[in-house]
Parts: sequence; structure tokens; C-alpha cells
Amino acid sequence: MIVTLTVNGELRSASVPPETTLLVMLREHLHLTGAKTGCDVGDCGACTVIVDGLAVNACLMLAAQADGRTVTTIEGLATREGLHPLQKVFEETGALQCGFCGPGVIMTSKALLDHTPEPTPQEIRTALTGNLCRCTGYVKMIEGVQEAAAMMRSPQSPALAGQSPALAAPEQK
Amino acid sequence: MKPFGYVAAIDSEHAVALLAEYGKGAKVLAGGTDLLADLKFSPHPPPDVVVDISRAADLKGIALTDAGLRLGAMVTHSEIVHSPLIAEAAPALAEAAVVIGAVQTRNLGTIGGNLITCVPSMDSGPTLLALDARVTVLGPRGRREMPLSELFVGPRRTSLAFDEILIEIVVPTQNLHKPAAFQKFGLRKGQALALVNAAASFWAPDGVFTEPRIALGAVAPTVIRAPKAEAYLTGRPVSEEAMAEAGRIAATEAKPITDFRASAEYRRDLVAVLVKRALAGAFGRVTPNQKDLAS
Amino acid sequence: MAQDLMDRELDVLDKERVAPVETLRRSDEALRLPAVAPPTALPLEPPLVPQVGEQTRAVGLRAQRPDSRNHGLGLTRYIDDIALPGMLFAKIKRAGIASARIKRIDTSRAEAMPGVCAVLVGSEIPVNSFGPSLQDQPLLAHPIVRHAGDGVAAVAAVTEQIAQAAIDAITVEYEPLPGVYDALEALKPESYKVHGGDTNVYASKVIKRGDVEAGFAQAYRIYEGRYYTPGIEHAPMEPFTSIADWDANGRLTIHASIGRITLARCDLARTLAIPISRIRVIGTVVGGNFGGKNEIRHEPVLALLAKKAGRPVKGRFNRVEEFVASTIRHAFHMDYKTGVTKDGRLIARQVRMVLDGGAYCSFSETTLGKACILSTGPYEIPNSLAEGYVVYTNKTTAGSMRGFGAPQVCFAYESQMDEIARDLGIDPVEIRLRNMFREGSMSSTGQVLHSVKVKESLENAVKKFGWEVQS
Repeated sequence: MIVTLTVNGELRSASVPPETTLLVMLREHLHLTGAKTGCDVGDCGACTVIVDGLAVNACLMLAAQADGRTVTTIEGLATREGLHPLQKVFEETGALQCGFCGPGVIMTSKALLDHTPEPTPQEIRTALTGNLCRCTGYVKMIEGVQEAAAMMRSPQSPALAGQSPALAAPEQK
Repeated sequence: MKPFGYVAAIDSEHAVALLAEYGKGAKVLAGGTDLLADLKFSPHPPPDVVVDISRAADLKGIALTDAGLRLGAMVTHSEIVHSPLIAEAAPALAEAAVVIGAVQTRNLGTIGGNLITCVPSMDSGPTLLALDARVTVLGPRGRREMPLSELFVGPRRTSLAFDEILIEIVVPTQNLHKPAAFQKFGLRKGQALALVNAAASFWAPDGVFTEPRIALGAVAPTVIRAPKAEAYLTGRPVSEEAMAEAGRIAATEAKPITDFRASAEYRRDLVAVLVKRALAGAFGRVTPNQKDLAS
Repeated sequence: MAQDLMDRELDVLDKERVAPVETLRRSDEALRLPAVAPPTALPLEPPLVPQVGEQTRAVGLRAQRPDSRNHGLGLTRYIDDIALPGMLFAKIKRAGIASARIKRIDTSRAEAMPGVCAVLVGSEIPVNSFGPSLQDQPLLAHPIVRHAGDGVAAVAAVTEQIAQAAIDAITVEYEPLPGVYDALEALKPESYKVHGGDTNVYASKVIKRGDVEAGFAQAYRIYEGRYYTPGIEHAPMEPFTSIADWDANGRLTIHASIGRITLARCDLARTLAIPISRIRVIGTVVGGNFGGKNEIRHEPVLALLAKKAGRPVKGRFNRVEEFVASTIRHAFHMDYKTGVTKDGRLIARQVRMVLDGGAYCSFSETTLGKACILSTGPYEIPNSLAEGYVVYTNKTTAGSMRGFGAPQVCFAYESQMDEIARDLGIDPVEIRLRNMFREGSMSSTGQVLHSVKVKESLENAVKKFGWEVQS
């Protein structure tokens, strides 16, 4: 069957067998490998993507269920102007070690911040219950989400200011 | 996953027509969080076709009707958590919804799916049972309405025929605003099945337990009521001791099993504690006026 | 003349072939601009990475990993994000029975399935064994199954779905054998011998210092206790995945999420009976190792399937296989006997431990060695005797996991330390301070220790969690 999605702002179609999950469609048909296959049964959250504004386990959703919807994956967060504050802060706080859970954690956190710009640490914990991490632990992630939230609330975002434009010529030494 | 077909129903009539067309080879997909996890590792042959009812427009929505608070079967757990209507009229439902799975699964999983999967540890069941919820199913022979308790038959077994679907759940008007609370105990706070869950509701006119309801999950083949504990409370003045005693009685009514998550003995002890807490939680929702009378 | 010729050549080079420095620099810059912009952002400012020779104050500061930007952008290519052209997918049929003899395997239905490119069973593998220390693991069990996670057949097919269907279509007839499922049972002479022979013990170690019997004779009190720690699965977020790819010259490339490349090549060379020089292992970014990805596992099977099929083959474990067919932390049974003086000084300690090694050796010897060395704890004990044994059982293979046995013995000696402190009425911190290694202490192995900071560490920790020493 043909499934058409708006993925990261682009209309993408693929012919997939009906039993294809959204995760398999993204990874194997659209070659967006940012969402990961961790447990494949909705326990680990490594496959988290945002569908119509809500964080979901892409492994527990058929591609057909997402037909006609808007999907945001980790590949759709950064812009040509810079990293998403969560990506910037997660890098700075060392919240990504092996990084396998990272895309899922960042997408869940993004969905949280989209609805709750000022989350309490408890709200962040609740939001992240569906994302497992085995290396980093959660402390730095919770700090990171708080910092990113503060950054996104301030109009002069320090994460985005002072960054070299992506296509600028390298500095001469 | 093994190969299967897929078809999406636009509304409940369409869904029933599709089920009639495909017969027993069809499997209904609501949120899909249980179904897909099962299909991935099932040793059984796959269904011929999966009928996706999650997009059926008339199965959505939370609204007040003449009959009471109506939840379409395809209302997600997240919608229940964030519904202002539920927060006002039946906050215990949100209390139960917020502990199901994790954010990602709550955004997909539906209340109808949770009830129809009919696992004894479901978190949606006890509160609805404690609020005397009624359900409506639709099939080729038309609609039929029944108390929620009649839906549950056994572990993963409901009274639904293969060609019927659950379309709505209604909390009756007379039970809106009835003080109720839900309690769950799992091995972790998030993303864990209930070792035991419990819900309780009661009115407290003149400080007396009136129409008390106690429902228990994960301690019997289905979610059950605890009639002896309810009978004990009826007409008794509200007190902590009565709540504790009701918990102890409920524990004798539970028929828990021992499995790798917990022993039957441990589960029975949990029943006593959780029933007491659920009753206390419900009492916390009794309006101040009623509370004065009780103290 | 020759000299003239040389001069002319240089002239030509100067004028026509050597570009002026300016031109070089410009073209170099031009090259840095990508012809096609990548899908998301280009790297922005470089991550803060300490330079060689630069003095950094790392402790107490936030550290940035050089690879974390790629992780955060979802650009890191883990093994499962890699696909080779024409790649097939492999699935391995797991025995599902812990101890049995394979009587018959019927793969005919699987072989007849459209899309199936290769089927492999144990009986056709020339060197059917591998392992990082003892080569006691079969690639695919034949004819004896020693634990439920043993592979008995493997399939490579054009999709994972077909490979799974083919695996399901393979029928295996087993003759169930007795088994042994407890490490202490496995020690008994009458127990079932997992690998035949007359014992299940396959490694042992003894470390002796002083004379424990003399120590116990002098002791004011003697404490005895048995401690047990269970097996633990590493549960990395990234499941085991590898790709095997042969080229036309018979050279093998393995892409794998593996931590020890050379060990993997050695083991593969032996098993596949080809020189190590013909094996290349490309370690991809590891999505969580914790010791579980230190050795090869399904790679030789994938290599044989790829050779049969003539196409690259990817194999990936599902989460169930992660638990049954990977390695786990050794379960430890530990007996501790400790003699102390009246003021709480440890003067003799005897440790006897039995490690549940599961069906195969893996890194059992390393684990046993480290556990024995560390079993007396960070304490100066003049008389000690540690004995350890690893035994085979019909359970999931135990292998390396963070600490190689250190956490297990730590649980035992620190638990006993608390029991001693409670019994003697000494503060638990104080009793540790009295016995702790200090500068010049000798460990149970006879090693003289320097730069010993155990005391400072403990005092710092005590301060941080607000424990008041009550001596």
C-alpha cells in the first residue's frame, strides 16, 4: 500500500506492505535512521517520533496509521541556522553517551516543551518514563531539558546567538 | 511481523461492516500498542486483515450527554489525562489514565482498547467499575448496552462477539462528581504493569458511607468488585478504621496468583493497603460541606 | 645534455604544473563547500575537545564528547543504520530447550521458500566452535544443545520477514537430556555434565597469603556468611547486530557493534579457517556495551551464510534473543569466613566462591581471576585464602560485564563488614577506616600498593552523605 506522510516538512510517499510499522517505514523506506530500534515493543522509547504534535513509539504504530499525518523525526529538528536548543544543551551537559537513546529522549522532550514550556523536574521525569537509557543516566538529561526550556523561553536565545552561520567560509589562520 | 492486510474504518458502522465482511480473520486495531506488540512475537498465524478503527470519527470525543459522561472508545489515555471535563466531573479517571504505560503509549493507546484487551491488570477498569460505567457495543445485530462488568469474562476474554466493537463508555449522570480515587502499585512508578490496582467511590451524606464501590485489578481473572467490603461500609460512619477494615475485607475477596512479578500473599497485602488509600483518596474529594458532617 | 634536460623539466613543472600557493588555498576552500547540502545542519562550531598537551581542568567540569553532536542530530551511524547493496537478512533458530540431543533437523520447507538464499545447520560447519578463551561454543548446536538460547539453524533471506518465516518452517526433533540448572548442584559428582567429562568445573583459582588457620586461631570472633548475587543481562539499548560481507578475493569484512576488534579477528580466523589477514572487522559506534559486546557471537554464522548466498548478510538480535542468546553477568555463590580481633581488625579471611558460568566459557576465567583478587576487599588482611570455581550449567552463558566479578564480591565483603560492625558495636565507617589499605599496604596477591586514596575517598563520601562517625 502507498503511505504518504509529511516528514520533517516534506511530503514523502512509499509503497510498503501493510504490516510495516512507522519505524520500519522511516528507517528502511525513507532512510531516516535517527529513530532507533531498541526493544521493538514500546518499552524503551528509542524509536520516539512526533506524530501530529504527540510523541509516539514509532515501533507500535503501523505506517498506515500515520498516513496523511505530520511526522517529525530527530532529523527534522536542526535548521540551517543552528541546532535545536535541546540538541545544543544535550551536547553541552553530556547527556548523550553512547547516544542510542538520544534521538528518542530529545523527541520526547521536544514534545513536552512544545506543550509545557516551563516543566518542573517531576514533569520532565514523568515525560521521560518511556525512554530508557543505559549509559548516561537521567540526571543530565533532566538538567538538559530544564536548560533548554529556559533557553527557549528567553527571546535572545544564547544557544542560537553567536553561532557561525552554517555556510560561512572557514576562518583564515 | 508476519504479513497481514490493513483497512481503516471511517466510522463505527463501516467498522462493523468490515468485520462482517472479513469474519474471524479480522482483528481490530484501536491504539495498537498491545496488538502490534503481540503480533510481532506471536507464534500464531497472523490475522488476514487488521481493521483500524482508531480513525473512526464517531468513536472519538469526550462529552456530556443526557446519559452522562460519554467517552468514545477511541479516546486516548492522554486525552483523558488532559480533558478539563474529566478533571471536573470524574478526576479519578484521569488518575488511572496517567499511570498507564508512558507518554508515548498513552498518546496511542485508547480506553476502548485497554478494556477490550481485558488483561486483569488493566488500569482503566477499576475506576470505571467503581463509577458504575456502562458500555455500548455495536454489531450486525445492532447496538446493545450493558454494565461494564458484563464485558469482562476472563483474562483476555470479553463478552464481545467477533463481529462486534465497543463504541462508547458512559459514566452515568448520577455518578458524575461522585468522590472516587484510583491507586496503583507497580514495580516501578512508570511503564510498569500493576501488581495490584484499586479504585473506590462513595457518597458521604451526613458522614455516612453511601453507595460505596470498591474495584480491584490484577487479583482475579478479570477486574472485580469487592461486594463484601462494600456491604461492610454501607451505612457506616466515615472513619479511617472503617476504611482499613474495608481494605482487609477486600483482601479476602481477592483471588490473586503468584507469578514472577509478585506472590499471591504480597498482592493480597497490597489490596488491603491500596483499598484503604483509594477510600481515603475518594474522601479527599468529598466536598467540604460533606466533610464537616463526617468529622 | 642531461643537466639541461633536468633544468628544462623543472621549468615546465614550475610554470605549468605547480599551481601558485594562492590558487591552491582557494581550491582547497572551494572543496570545503559541499556540492549538495546535507539534509540537516552542517557542523557548526567545533565541539569543545581538549587538545593534546593542553592543561584542562576536567574534574568537576562538564565534559563534552566529540561525538555527541552527531548523536543529538541523529546522524551517528550505528550498525543497524548501515545497509549494503544486495544485503540479505539472517535469522537464527533458537533451541528453546535447555539440554537435548538433536535427532533430526528438517530444513526442506525453509529451503523451498521463495526469497530464502541460504540455510545453515551445525552439522555442515567444518570448525563448529568459537570462544574468546576456551573454544567451547558451537556456532550452531550439533548434536548437543546446552542451553535454550543455542542456535540450531540459520537462514539468510531477502527480508527479515521471510527469514523469520523460514526459521519457523524448520522442524527440529529433540531427545531431551537431563540438565543442571544450579551452580552448586553442578559441583556434585552425580550432576549432569554439560560438556561431558567427569566434572562441570572448567576453571579455578586460588590466592593465598599468610596462614588463615593460624589467623582464625588468634581471632577474637569468627564470622561466617553465604552471599549470593544473581545473573544480570547487560541490556544495551542497541541489540547485537552485524553484517558479514565477502569480496571476490575471499576476503571477509565484518561490520559489527563490537568492542574488541583484534580478538574478534583471531576468533573468526580460527573458526572460519582463513588467515587473520583476510579478515577485516569494522567496529561501528557501539550503542551500549557494558562488557556484553566484547566477543563475537553470531558473526561466524553470518559469514558462513554470506559465503553460501554470495551476498552480504545482516543479522540482528531481537530483544528476546538479547536475553537468552547473549551473555550475562555471572551469578556468584560466595562463602565468607572472617576472623577479627576485639577492636575490629580483620586478621584472617577465607573465601570460597562458585560462579555460574552457564553453558559456555566466554570470559569466565577473567571474571574468576578478578573476583578472587578483589575478594578480600580494600582491606589489609594478613592471612587470606580465596578459592574460586566456575561451573557449567544448562543456562544462558555468563561472560564479561562491567567489573568482571568485582561488584559481586564487593556485595559480599561489604555486607559482611556491616554484620561484623553491628556485632562488635563499632561504627561501620570506623571499622572500615581501621582496616583500610594505606600507603605501602600489601594486597592479598602480595602487591605493595602506592598512591592509596581509599581513606580519603571514604572520608569524602561520609562527609557528602552526612554520616556522623560514632566510635
